[in-house]
Amino acid sequence: MRPVSSQFLLLKATALFVLWIMLSGSFNWIHLLLGATASLLIAWINSGHSPFVPNFRIWGKTILFLPWLFSRIVHSTLHVTKLILNPKLPISPKLLHVKTNLRNRAAVVLLGNSITLTPGTITAEVDDSTLIVHTLDDVSSEDVRSGRLEGKIASVFGNGDTSP
Amino acid sequence: MNTFFLFVLLTLAVLIGAYLYRVLQGPTIFDRVLGLNGISTKAIILLILIGSVHERVDMFIDISTGYALLNLVGALAVAKYLEQKGLP
Amino acid sequence: MDVLAVIFILAGLFFLVVAAIGVIRLPDVFTRSHAVSITDSLGAFLMLIGIAIHEGFSLNVLKILAVLALLYLQNPVIAHATVRAALRAGLKPWQREST
Repeated sequence: MRPVSSQFLLLKATALFVLWIMLSGSFNWIHLLLGATASLLIAWINSGHSPFVPNFRIWGKTILFLPWLFSRIVHSTLHVTKLILNPKLPISPKLLHVKTNLRNRAAVVLLGNSITLTPGTITAEVDDSTLIVHTLDDVSSEDVRSGRLEGKIASVFGNGDTSP
Repeated sequence: MNTFFLFVLLTLAVLIGAYLYRVLQGPTIFDRVLGLNGISTKAIILLILIGSVHERVDMFIDISTGYALLNLVGALAVAKYLEQKGLP
Repeated sequence: MDVLAVIFILAGLFFLVVAAIGVIRLPDVFTRSHAVSITDSLGAFLMLIGIAIHEGFSLNVLKILAVLALLYLQNPVIAHATVRAALRAGLKPWQREST
C-alpha cells in the first residue's frame, strides 16, 4: 500500500470537483453526487504519485508576477510584429547559452515557460544550470541577457533555497 | 453582429490555408509539425466563435477543450518520436 | 459593450494575420516558431477576451478563461518540444550570410 497524505488527497479532490462544476454547469444533486464520487476516486487512484506539496506562499507571489510578464509579452509582441512586417526582414537569429543560478526545479520550469511564452525568445534545451535560448534578434533577448527575468523569478521563489 | 462573426470566421479559414501551405510545402518535417500546431490553435478559436454564432458556447467550449488536450498529447508524442529517430 | 468586443476581436485578428505572414515569410523552423508564439500569446488572448465580453457575465466566461489558461500552459510546452527535437536531430539554425 502506498503512503497517502489525506490532506493532499482532499485538496486534489476539491480542485477536481471545482473543475467538474465549471465544466458541467448544472447544480442538479445527482450531477453533484456523481462529480464528488468521481473526483474522490480519481484523487485516490492518483495519490502517492508525486512528491509535490503545494506551497501557497509562492502561489500568491506567482500571481503577482503574471501582470509584469504580460506587459513584457505585449512589448515584445509589438517588436516582433514590426520585424515581420518590415519588407527587409532585419532579423539576426542566434543561439544563446544562459546560465541560471536557480536551484528550485519549479523555478527553472517557470523561467523556461516565461521565455518560451514571450515572442522572440524560445527555450531550446534545458539542463540543470544552463538554458539554450534561440532568439530572433538582440532587442527581444534583452530581458534574458540582462537577467531581469531571472531576478524577478528568484524574488518570487525567495532566492530558490527551498528543496527541489 | 452575425455578419461580423461570419467575416471573422472566413478570415480565420484563409489563415488556416496559409498554415496549410506550410504543412504541405515545409522543407523539413519540423515545419509540418509546427504548422499543424498553429492550425489547432486556430481551430480552437474557430470552434468557440462558431459556438458564439449559434448561442451554444457552453457546448462548443467542451469540444475545444478536448481538442486542445488531444493536440497536446499528439504533438508531444510526435516530437518525442522525431527526437529519437533523427533527421530523415 | 458590443463595440468593445468588436475592437478586441479585430485586434486579435490583426495579430493572427501577422503570425500567418510570419509563418510564410521567415526562413527556418526556429524563426517560424517565434511567429507561431505570437498567435498563442496575444492573438488568442485578445480574441477570446472579445468573445467573453460579447457573451456577458455568466459561467461561460469562466469556461473561456479556463480554455485560455490551458492554451497558455500547453503552447510553450509544445513549442519547446518541437524546437528541442529539431535541435537534437541536428538541424542548423539559419544565419544571415554576411557574417
